Amino acid sequence: MWVTPAVRDRVTAALPLPLGHPGEPLPEGTKTLVVVGGGTLIDAAKALRVDRRLHVRLIVIPSIWGSGAEISPVAVQNQDGKKTIRVGPELLPDVRVAWPELAQTLSSDLARDACGDVWAHALEGFLSPLANDELRTIGGHLIGDLTKARIGNAPGWFELSAAACALQAHASVGLVHGIAHTLEGPLAGGSPTGRFGHAGLCARMLWPAMRFNLSRSEKLRSIFDEVGLDVETVFAAIAGLYDEAVYDILLPSLVARWRDVLRDPCTRTNVALVRPGDVSFFVEKAFR
Amino acid sequence: MSNREKLQAMLVSVFLLEESEFSFARQRGEVDTWDSLGVVALAVGIEESFGYHCRPEEANALRSFQDVLELLERKGISFVE
Repeated sequence: MWVTPAVRDRVTAALPLPLGHPGEPLPEGTKTLVVVGGGTLIDAAKALRVDRRLHVRLIVIPSIWGSGAEISPVAVQNQDGKKTIRVGPELLPDVRVAWPELAQTLSSDLARDACGDVWAHALEGFLSPLANDELRTIGGHLIGDLTKARIGNAPGWFELSAAACALQAHASVGLVHGIAHTLEGPLAGGSPTGRFGHAGLCARMLWPAMRFNLSRSEKLRSIFDEVGLDVETVFAAIAGLYDEAVYDILLPSLVARWRDVLRDPCTRTNVALVRPGDVSFFVEKAFR
Repeated sequence: MSNREKLQAMLVSVFLLEESEFSFARQRGEVDTWDSLGVVALAVGIEESFGYHCRPEEANALRSFQDVLELLERKGISFVE
């Protein structure tokens, strides 16, 4: 069993299984690997099983919502400071277990960031040019549910997270994830706030980036209209994720790496909207 | 700005090139961002910059920046300086 340190005591007390670590080989004869943790740990297990052609059953228990790694056929890995994204049905875990009590001790900041990650998956999947009418209908219901959910620590976010991840896995993500994937490596070590991980960046950049998308395409507004969603209600729900002080800290990095953001595969699904000169929208805070 | 300069600026923007990387002789295979998403971006860029709605088969058939220029010339846009 692999367990993330934040919940190790609680998990090992309830599940007395032999402990391992992603850096170590699995013991000879291992038939089942239980992974309890966040998206990074779960994705490491998914990738390991495929790369080493291991015939082990993979049971995953998310300790936090947001990534949706527990239900997605995607594995995101950080190699030499660069994100690589792999997709394939062979990456899907065999069993997902819900244990929402593991998140009870999450800090309010982490919980808020995780909610931002869920929102980013839902909105970018819903607005993706790769989403068909059926996905838009499903996404519309999900976003309606999200607007009613309180941002913060609540067990209901695990299921919302799984639904949002499933939506984006069938469509794509976009600029918000392009920004997060580009900046999270460079900012991970030097962040004065410690909140520039993937979820934190998605949360902070979601509202500005969605305002940007809306400013560039009238079609986006009509996509919301078609499923009976009020754009302003949705945007009001995500505006609380924005934090100007944090945004000001990360803005210089966004400007310096804008070209890398544009070349990120996630951003490029919005290729018709996002251009080199558009960084001025973020510098001038035209989203306010 | 002449139409030639406008086209160059559009192609540099759409394909995320440095100015120094640009040449009308550039072939599709030499531009890493000229993939299927690049084709979409190019079609949008042509419409935004020159008002011509490129059909998917036209956009897919383009193999060089010179091809883009010649397509627009056939649609009545002059590139004579």
